[in-house]
Amino acid sequence: MLDEIMPFLEVSHLRKSFVSPDGGKSLVVDVESFSLTAGDLFGMRGESGSGKTTFLHLLAGILRPDEGSVIIDGTEVSELNEAARDHLRASAIGYVFQSFNLLQGFTCLENIMLAMSFAGKVDETRAKELLDRVGLSHRLAHYPRQLSIGQQQRVALARALANRPKLVLADEPTGNLDPGNARKALALLRELCSDAGSALLLVSHDENVIGGFEENLDWSDLNRAFAEAMND
Amino acid sequence: MLRSGPWVILFLAIRGLRQYAFSTAVASLAIALAGGLFLGTWKIKEEAKNAFSRSSGGYDAVLGPRGSKLQLVLNGLFHLEASPGNLSWEQYEIIRDTRGVSEAYPIAVGDNYLGFRLVGTLAEMFEKHEWRKDRKYVVESGGRLFTDNAKEALVGAFVARKLGLKVGDNFHPYHGLTFKEEAKHKDLYVVVGILEATGTPGDKVIWIPIKGIQLMDGHNPKTATDVSAVLLNLKGAAGFMLDMKYNKQGNVATLAWPVAGTLASFFERLVWFQRVLEIIAYLVAFVAACVILAILRNAMNERRREIAILRSLGARRSTVTAVVLAQAGLITLLGVVGAAFAYLGIGFLAASVIREQTGVLLEPFTYDPSFFYVPIGMLAVGLLSGLLPSLQAYRSDVAKNLVQQS
Repeated sequence: MLDEIMPFLEVSHLRKSFVSPDGGKSLVVDVESFSLTAGDLFGMRGESGSGKTTFLHLLAGILRPDEGSVIIDGTEVSELNEAARDHLRASAIGYVFQSFNLLQGFTCLENIMLAMSFAGKVDETRAKELLDRVGLSHRLAHYPRQLSIGQQQRVALARALANRPKLVLADEPTGNLDPGNARKALALLRELCSDAGSALLLVSHDENVIGGFEENLDWSDLNRAFAEAMND
Repeated sequence: MLRSGPWVILFLAIRGLRQYAFSTAVASLAIALAGGLFLGTWKIKEEAKNAFSRSSGGYDAVLGPRGSKLQLVLNGLFHLEASPGNLSWEQYEIIRDTRGVSEAYPIAVGDNYLGFRLVGTLAEMFEKHEWRKDRKYVVESGGRLFTDNAKEALVGAFVARKLGLKVGDNFHPYHGLTFKEEAKHKDLYVVVGILEATGTPGDKVIWIPIKGIQLMDGHNPKTATDVSAVLLNLKGAAGFMLDMKYNKQGNVATLAWPVAGTLASFFERLVWFQRVLEIIAYLVAFVAACVILAILRNAMNERRREIAILRSLGARRSTVTAVVLAQAGLITLLGVVGAAFAYLGIGFLAASVIREQTGVLLEPFTYDPSFFYVPIGMLAVGLLSGLLPSLQAYRSDVAKNLVQQS
């Protein structure tokens, strides 16, 4: 019982600032506390340019925080060296981007298997199963440019789940899709995460997208830096 | 198919190059050219030096009229260039009978058949002389040596093949060392033998009795006993003694001795040519390295996003760096393979041209340490040119490149 309520992702006193063009420091993320438990499906609404992507980069270990901590499954991410963060990202985190970020020179199957290779466990059968799961078993050898936008996003979803991640971070995953495809992609993402037992943190500016999550909050309520900037 | 570990690096590198196939081909071609030139200039020069030394026909020295030693050697042994003049028959007899001279064969030149030089000598040379240690001239079956008093010819293997001459064929010699249709002699010669190939300039010659040249219709009767040169083999200290007698104290004749020394001085004169080719090869190698650098740098600019995606998927910095270095290595490797083919072409061409022009048989494909060092050097240059772009890949800002493009 205790395991069920233990947070899988735990963020505390997280701050990140960048050097602004005028040479001063601009605080972009200032989150006092945030947590997710395993299997949570969480939506977060926020304006464009409000630091959501930076927050996800901090969680994924792509950026290092100035202060604070990010603990994933008991591991303090900011204390890991870069190679260890890379390994954590490859094996425990799935990332879905607004612009899909598929590798254009590689087939659908290769895109998924490449993600697997960085975690050190290439499994062609599973890669094919995943593509089958997202309805693209007939597009294994197709290159991203040969697919529709909706199909590309489905490949990106399959790739994010390739290494059975414990945490999936989705950054405006429906931003480039028409409403019909957006609904389908969202449903698929939730379904895939639920089936895999992965926690999902999805950020979007779209009220309709976030409204579909039972657990959701407004990014401006979480990020004090953005709230202060708005007040200024 | 895709596997984890180092295979991913190779997989990504090959795919990257496929995306820039044309530029890759151009860079590889430039490297191939540079490598081929490097190997060509070095190995062909070395091999030519060795082949000319090997092909001196088994003689230690050449005695000829006063003049250039090199011209004597080229004319007497390699059947190139014009004869610098004549020696009297008495001179030949004097050197023949000198102590320390183990072999002395007079030769006379001045005529040709369809551009191939006629060389007059004594049949004795083919019976006794070893053109290489333990290797005497062999007449192909069905033929025989010429008789010293007859209008008979012994044809070198190369000439026989080129002109299709066979035993029993007749021909009229032409005056001079180059073929002019109007300079036909009345004398009629019959082919009595074809010599087996020796890989020496002797293969490019039609041998006839020395009296044949001396008494050829139209030749000056006053020089009817003269010889163009005497080919010598010496023993003991005869070389020093004769060098003193002819070159330092006398002024009638010149002794080109030792033959190898004269040839070495000839090749030293060609050093400038080798240097020029080397400089060209260095320049081509430099251009090739710049092309690799340009390709990878341009690719890097276009691939920042790809690198950021790979990193976001968990690829390490070292992995993307290694991919760029591997690409430089692969381009160079393709170039090395191309260089091998380029050298094959250069080698064949050089060998056939030299064979055609001089009769000297080059062996450009025998092992040389440069076959090992040049590819290693090329790979080093290739990897060096990939260093800067790989550093760019290493320092690539993942967050910035993901956000900027998304």
